[in-house]
Amino acid sequence: MERREALKKIAYLMGGAISATTMGVLFESFTVYDPEWNTYSFSATDEEILAEFAEIILPTTPSSPGAKAAGVGAFIPLLIKDCYPPKLQAVFKNGFEEMLAKCKTKFNKEFLSLNTEEKNQLMSELTQQAIESNKEPSFFLIARDLTILGYFSSEIGCTMAREYLPIPGRYDGATEYKPGQKAWAAI
Amino acid sequence: MNINTDLKKQNTYDAIVVGSGISGGWAAKELTEKGLKVLMLERGKNIEHIKDYDSAMKAPWEIPYAGKMTEEQRRTHPVQTRDYPYSQANESWWVNDLECPYTEDKRFDWYRGFHVGGKSLMWGRQSYRLSDHNFEDNAKDGHGNDWPIRYKDIAPWYDYVEKFAGISGQNENWPLLPDGQFLPPMDMNCVEKSVKERIEKHYNKSRIMTIGRTANLTVPHLGRGNCQYRNLCSRGCPFGAYFSTQSSTLPAAMATKKLTVRPFSIVNHIIYDKETKKAKGVMVIDAETNESMEFYAKIVFVNGSTLSSTFVLLNSTSEAHPNGLGNGSGHLGHNLMDHHFRCGAEGSAEGFEDKYTYGRRANGIYIPRYQNFNGDKRDYLRGFGYQGAASRGNWHKEVAELAFGGDFKEILSKPAESWTMGLGGFGEMLPYYENKVYIDHSKKDKWGQPVLAIDCEYKENEAKMREDMMYDAAEMLEAAGMKNVKPYDNGCYPGMTIHEMGTARMGNDPKESVLNKWNQMHEVSNVFVTDGSCMPSTACQNPSLTYMALTARACDYAVKELKKKNI
Repeated sequence: MERREALKKIAYLMGGAISATTMGVLFESFTVYDPEWNTYSFSATDEEILAEFAEIILPTTPSSPGAKAAGVGAFIPLLIKDCYPPKLQAVFKNGFEEMLAKCKTKFNKEFLSLNTEEKNQLMSELTQQAIESNKEPSFFLIARDLTILGYFSSEIGCTMAREYLPIPGRYDGATEYKPGQKAWAAI
Repeated sequence: MNINTDLKKQNTYDAIVVGSGISGGWAAKELTEKGLKVLMLERGKNIEHIKDYDSAMKAPWEIPYAGKMTEEQRRTHPVQTRDYPYSQANESWWVNDLECPYTEDKRFDWYRGFHVGGKSLMWGRQSYRLSDHNFEDNAKDGHGNDWPIRYKDIAPWYDYVEKFAGISGQNENWPLLPDGQFLPPMDMNCVEKSVKERIEKHYNKSRIMTIGRTANLTVPHLGRGNCQYRNLCSRGCPFGAYFSTQSSTLPAAMATKKLTVRPFSIVNHIIYDKETKKAKGVMVIDAETNESMEFYAKIVFVNGSTLSSTFVLLNSTSEAHPNGLGNGSGHLGHNLMDHHFRCGAEGSAEGFEDKYTYGRRANGIYIPRYQNFNGDKRDYLRGFGYQGAASRGNWHKEVAELAFGGDFKEILSKPAESWTMGLGGFGEMLPYYENKVYIDHSKKDKWGQPVLAIDCEYKENEAKMREDMMYDAAEMLEAAGMKNVKPYDNGCYPGMTIHEMGTARMGNDPKESVLNKWNQMHEVSNVFVTDGSCMPSTACQNPSLTYMALTARACDYAVKELKKKNI
């Protein structure tokens, strides 16, 4: 029974802290509909900025096109408008504008004019802030989650970054994994 | 009086089946094959096999919002959005909660699918027999009433329905989980095989692990195609590879040319004839026109799913049955049960980095109940089984570390470094008289009907069991060599397993039960109830296979009695 006592110490019980992951948690944490629903609008420029933002997280590489080509720039605003409650929409929109303002004060440039080094520097700072805030919901975390979600559910993400198998026809639970082999796209 | 005799004749059948899900489909098939002219009433829309499985062949990028629910869906489906089964891919197969409200005296998640096929289209397909231990538990520990049947009564009917439905699985000769008539089992993957071997060795075969017994075909069966390992069952299967009303019982019933299916037909109540002391038919509200109409038959099978069936019976009041049809016992609506789950452990497997999977198996493993059996004694009654699986997913620690850039993208494009294995308990819930449903006349649904109120909670026995559901799982995973083993309890509310049962229970004593051992109402001999509401206890196994067997058995009895002119 000693082992059982030890296991009790590491048990995850409902109500305990969950901050280890980002994917999923943000969605599952607000399942109650908020009647004070209003939607922000996003301009074509906003979409372009979000596409470039997503491209920093998941860029085009020799093996596959990146988030911009996969349409993540339009995917993020669509989900923010239709799937997020007003409170988080506001968090997103305010954080988005803060980021744009930061580009001006820090680099004296518009976001879209940043060079690769500046983009990476900006992203590193946003990452650091998110870790310091213990991953409190923010523009950065929401946009990053949606980038990963949008990319790996896009046609490019499923068929080029990963491998898409619509009708496997059989199951083999012990195939050889060849070094470098792509993951199966999640369905 | 100006009776439209033609209309009455036109609306008269040998049998009426209320509901078209798993048990209703079976009732329609059995009754028509035995020569009866049957009307199957379904409150929702029609869904035609294959043709209406709109999302079945869609790629991930064709599913709206990458599968996430919208705020509007949260508004119209405040209950259905509480858990995972309601999804973008089969969104229209779940009930609009605003049109069909109910009252929660305590939180009860009522997941409903109103359409031809009911939840047979979205069910989990795990198919397990109950054993004599389950049939005897109520009598032995005094909770609930004694089951009026034993395993020998239902065993031939399990054989019968398994052979038709097509259940794949492995015989194990485990006393708490009887063997069956199985199609070839699906394969365990390499990690599951290793875990099985190590658990069975560690516990000296006092616990076993088997491949899930599932209503997915591993070989072609009775004209239906075998599983293609897409794991998209809940969208409807274009290969007909899992059991549903549409793939299995409905085509068989239609082939007799004796079945009429009427969608958009909400059964409001059963019409009782005080002269004959029998039901003479049902009153229906057309869901599209709001028009009410009557249909007549010699026998009525009530298969609307546990709580909907109970609503119909409670709403069928008359001078002779003031508290609901056949409710002289006062047990109608009481003894509501569900299983409890979302509790177990997971860990990671090392040493399988050179292995991967091909195909997506819509099935997992099963560890049948071993508690309170053969010398194993716990500080609670009854027990639980585990469902689980090992997989090599796509998760990488770099996601949580907030990495970005080209290397990050390459990492996410590869499978996870290690495999994970999870075990989730499914626990039995005791029958408690005070866990109940009743009609709430203060609220109305879209069609002006009163609504159901639900007052149900888990109690101490379930809470104690959950501790073991966590720590037994963690201990087994550690015994199997898993690393980073984490027990979890994500919390559970009644209704969440979608195994609601017990509100019109069977029993030998008419003072203690609603139905007799043939699922026939003690007080109204031509009414049969064969969905989950008939269950005197839940056991811990997934229940649908038992509903199928009880339905086929009741149909056989009903037709024999009809022929003998006893009903």
